[in-house]
Amino acid sequence: MATIDQITLSTVWYGFQSLCREMRAMVTRTSQSYLISTLKDLSVGVWLADGSIVAVPEGLPVQFLGTSFAISSIREMYKENLHPGDVILTNDPYHGGHNTHLPDWGYIRPVFYKGELLFFTLVRGHMMDTGGSFPGGYFANAYDIIAEGLNIPPLKVVKKGVLDEDLNKLIFNNVRFPVEVKIDTDAMIAAGKFSENRIIEILERYGKDTVLASIHQMLDRTERAVRAEIAAIPDGTYSGESATDDDGTVLDEPVTVRVDVTIKGDQITLDFSRSDAQRPGFINSVYASTFTRAAAGVILYMDPALADFHNEGSLRPIKVVAPLGNVTNCRYPATVGASPINVGCQMLEAVVEALGKARPDRSIASWGKHRGDYTFALDPRTGERYVRTTFDYDGSAGAVWGHDGMTGPTHLTALGSVQRGSIEEAEIRFPWRMLKLEARPNFTGHGRWRGGCGMDWRAVNEGSDGRMSSGSSDGDVVQGKGALGGQRVPCARTFILRGNEKIRLKPHRIDPVKTGDIVVKLSPGGGGVGDPWTRPADRVAEDVANEKITAEVARLVYGVVVDPATLKVDEAATARLRSTPPTQRYEAVINEETLDIEMKPLVPQAEQTT
Amino acid sequence: MKQLTIDVGGTFTDCLVLEESGQLQRFKASTTPDDPTLGFFAAVGKAAKHYGQTLEQFLADVEQIVHGTTLGTNILITERGAKVGMITTKGFRDIVEMRRGIRNLHGSMFDMFIEPYQPLVPRRLVRGVEERTLYTGKMLTPLNESELREQARRLLDEGCNAIAICFLHSYANGDNERKAKQIVQQMSPDTYVTASHEILPVFREFERFSTAVISAYIGPAITRYARKLQSGLKERGCKGRLLMMLANGLVQVVDQCVDRAVYLLNSGPAAAPYGASYLGGLHGKNNLLSVDMGGTSFDVCVVKEGEIPSTSDSWVGEHRVAIKMVDVPTVGAGGGSLAWIDSLGLLRVGPQSAGADPGPAAYGKGEEASVTDADLVLGYIPADYFLGGDVKLDVERSHQAVARVGSKLHMNASQTALVMNTTINTVMANLITEVCTKKGHDVRDFTLVAGGGAGGIHAAAIAKQLSIPTVIVPRVAALMSAFGMFAMNLGLEYARSCARRQDKLDFAEISGLYEDMRRQARDDFASIGIAESQLAYKPSVEMRYVGQFHEVEIDMPAEDLNADNLKALLQNFHTQYEKLFTYNMPWRSAEFLTYRLKVTSASRPIQTAVLSGAGTNVETARRGSRMCVFDGDAKPIETPAYDWDRMAPGHKLTGPALIDDKTTTVLVVPGFRCEVDAYHNLLLRAQ
Repeated sequence: MATIDQITLSTVWYGFQSLCREMRAMVTRTSQSYLISTLKDLSVGVWLADGSIVAVPEGLPVQFLGTSFAISSIREMYKENLHPGDVILTNDPYHGGHNTHLPDWGYIRPVFYKGELLFFTLVRGHMMDTGGSFPGGYFANAYDIIAEGLNIPPLKVVKKGVLDEDLNKLIFNNVRFPVEVKIDTDAMIAAGKFSENRIIEILERYGKDTVLASIHQMLDRTERAVRAEIAAIPDGTYSGESATDDDGTVLDEPVTVRVDVTIKGDQITLDFSRSDAQRPGFINSVYASTFTRAAAGVILYMDPALADFHNEGSLRPIKVVAPLGNVTNCRYPATVGASPINVGCQMLEAVVEALGKARPDRSIASWGKHRGDYTFALDPRTGERYVRTTFDYDGSAGAVWGHDGMTGPTHLTALGSVQRGSIEEAEIRFPWRMLKLEARPNFTGHGRWRGGCGMDWRAVNEGSDGRMSSGSSDGDVVQGKGALGGQRVPCARTFILRGNEKIRLKPHRIDPVKTGDIVVKLSPGGGGVGDPWTRPADRVAEDVANEKITAEVARLVYGVVVDPATLKVDEAATARLRSTPPTQRYEAVINEETLDIEMKPLVPQAEQTT
Repeated sequence: MKQLTIDVGGTFTDCLVLEESGQLQRFKASTTPDDPTLGFFAAVGKAAKHYGQTLEQFLADVEQIVHGTTLGTNILITERGAKVGMITTKGFRDIVEMRRGIRNLHGSMFDMFIEPYQPLVPRRLVRGVEERTLYTGKMLTPLNESELREQARRLLDEGCNAIAICFLHSYANGDNERKAKQIVQQMSPDTYVTASHEILPVFREFERFSTAVISAYIGPAITRYARKLQSGLKERGCKGRLLMMLANGLVQVVDQCVDRAVYLLNSGPAAAPYGASYLGGLHGKNNLLSVDMGGTSFDVCVVKEGEIPSTSDSWVGEHRVAIKMVDVPTVGAGGGSLAWIDSLGLLRVGPQSAGADPGPAAYGKGEEASVTDADLVLGYIPADYFLGGDVKLDVERSHQAVARVGSKLHMNASQTALVMNTTINTVMANLITEVCTKKGHDVRDFTLVAGGGAGGIHAAAIAKQLSIPTVIVPRVAALMSAFGMFAMNLGLEYARSCARRQDKLDFAEISGLYEDMRRQARDDFASIGIAESQLAYKPSVEMRYVGQFHEVEIDMPAEDLNADNLKALLQNFHTQYEKLFTYNMPWRSAEFLTYRLKVTSASRPIQTAVLSGAGTNVETARRGSRMCVFDGDAKPIETPAYDWDRMAPGHKLTGPALIDDKTTTVLVVPGFRCEVDAYHNLLLRAQ
């Protein structure tokens, strides 16, 4: 293998990172899917021919960290029958696709140089539709995965640069909004071609041996750094668990994910065996998808200085155990529609909780849960069908050690890489008028570092009657955890106000919406880190001044006495109050009659569920 | 009479004087951050002294001053702006704080340990009032004036000296915002009040609100500064016109820009590409990479076929600025960039910089190794003639600093310096590639125009890495932005959003929007004494395929849009789209969103003097030699050094060679040759 100087090494490495960013930017600029274009529900990356990750700088972990599995099966499936100009499409969780759920379509392109297969690239995005019982692929009560949508095992949609017209006709005849989905398909295939050109330029400039040697050296260096980080964690087994409200088929029965994380020297094993068995409802996860959650959770605990580098080397010390038939490794034909968020988010939360016990100085609290929906109706302005989905009604980030959570709709599953849409743009596009999008005071997990603010989202339906799927939204019952004495995430609620009626919409359901309905979503902020009783008094007073918390909460939850008129801390009264631990803890609860946020004595989760 | 350009940068205030003969004179003074007018007049004073005149005598003979300043950018970056209050549509109080997501564009998704965004206007100073306009421009709820008064009173009592009024859909109908602004101004005439539709009448509320808040944040300080400068010039007898350089590549009189303070962001760097474009034109080149390497940052602008690109996707630090700005992407790479070893054991350089204080180790204060130290160790920079000898450099200190970094990697000082030099060149080369290829261009088709104090040393090496055949190092390289300001047009930009599909266009409505913008332009220009006959109009429209979320800007026909010229416009859209994204969708309907009008009044073309050819051998300009280390060979080579002042048109050199000047040094790397052109610029070409 060629010896590589520092400069070449950095240059080659930077080249791969930057071409991924350019690919993602290109698709977001040309796509017509709200999810891809505005919310950036899209991932890209480059892999070696053997499936090793080269560069995955941007995207949603679940969409791409597990692509190695798909590449291995593609190689096995096609053997020598892969050629320059081939493009392979798959959205299948089973049959060698190793995908998370059906709406995420991945376009995989083998990259050849002088006749030799050297790389694969992937562009994977959340499509507007993927067929099945209900638009968008979030049908809560599907009989099996066939009912969830089109199942596309790894198949060549483009062969040696020539589109397979028959296959494409079959695919686009089976999705809603075929024109729109085709536009996004074209954009993703074009981005793959673009990345191929860039990779070949790099190979031309530096030579194959140098490029491959540089990549291998980067993988090795990253592996060494990650192993050193793992070795710094005290040996032992640490556990975490989290649950989703229900599985969408068997209602009102939480489903729990449990992980035992064992650190031994520079190796880490994440064992999900104690999780619940796979479920009839759509919250199951295939192994590849579970692997990505586990890996993403571990990566979050690595030195942030490594954040820009992660690659195959980061994954080598990580072992993930999930027995077949478990909710974390479901068997065909289990449904998986909600999987990216349920139980995807729960797996990540469980790993984060477990590792937080090992590294308290890198504690990460749970975030507000997804509060999304798919709304499907007619737009009277155009007479056309529309489907609307966003993350705009999600709550805020949880705290981490050293920092409050950021305010703004987001959720942990995407590591905050999805974006909020624009109210003005949405009103131009969809027949819903926004009434409110604003933080609600107190509606968060309080702590020494607190979660971002909880959100109040309200809009009125000015379009036709239609249906709303609350899909993978979550968090009405099960509350995400805080860390180190920080408060858990408050419960969320969604209501439809129809005249004098107030109708509650639970997660994982499909409900009718009517013209004139006002939809209200109350979406909490994230969990806290550290005891709120220890938050610096001036930060508490600042939150009161900013109306993020009330003076009452400052006193009850934080033990800080703030004069509501002057907004000054009463130092003496605060010192007296804080001289002993609080006799009663309080948390934010939604009053379902008034929709106010009220402080109620905190009941531990264990007592709550019994 | 003379023309002046003055660029107040972070470290230096540059002043260029263009004499009637076309000769340029260069002056530099230190920037005075606490009151930048002091540095301004110090630089002008140096110019006056050069002509043996008093400041007053000199200024009496000045016809026009074009002025760029980093004041706005500095206020924003150092967070020393006004106490801003924001009045917004009730129920939408947190739009700016939420941004579009928890990170701006640059953070890694795997890093969770980041501080939440701190908006310039804290939540307690954001107040909602009852009002609502729809996307159609229809007013659903008129402004509740008593509530507005109550909320404005609260903000004024809190001590806000600037207020941004930001209502939903105000781009479609600004009546509620206008009324609110009027009321607040009546309540408090001294408060700086800005309405979002006046700054950026374009849809998407986060971008518009954030931009308006930034404008309010820097507005009071910009106004104070500009007024002080205006009166200072008047007191000193200057009758010439003072024009401010704007972010969008136009210049404007003070009265027109104080209300739109956000346009003064990036006011210096926006000018450099215009200078590059002019110099490229002298050599018949119109595909140019205008680069500027200063102490802390490296700016790149891709000028394709003479067109200076602009963007509305900018961030300044953590804040989103959505006005159209000259597209000058920047990366933390400059003479002060520091070397460090990352967690993978690789040597990295930048983006941390030694800045002006402590500065590179060679300046005698700092301990850490910077690019300047590496360049000094390699022999490229003259220790005795840095900035014409104004700054003494401590070679030994540089050596020690560089050696300290290298020892961790088992490399000696000159090996380490070489790696640092190449690394920083790679960082800059990568930015060029990224910016260029993002637009679908091949860098090898471009000429590099190297500006900035540190540009001359690194330009040829970057060109070599990227196979760029030609580099122009202007005589005014170290004052590139100031030079670019000579090429500016006076102008303003207008915009109106109105979303309609191609089959639902109302031609009368569009003509009405343009008539409205032209009327506003006539008024704005009349107020500064420019007649309509001198105005040039450039209309354009931002459009996309139905269903998409990002727009492409397309030229509008000069006459009103009608069914016939619409066809040509659509064809042009499909063509432009394919150029940008490698495919298009002519079968798909297009949507028209934002109409723009750029109105300019052309400046007088600059004429730089042509110098006579060299009668002498280039060796007459020789000032000595330095021992230099070059790529691939650690053994120092004796490299001749020349004095740029004494070189003349037609002089030729072959690399390796050094050309020193009181403002910069140029390195002709091995494999390149150098020629002096008729304007005293250097042309470096690969052999």
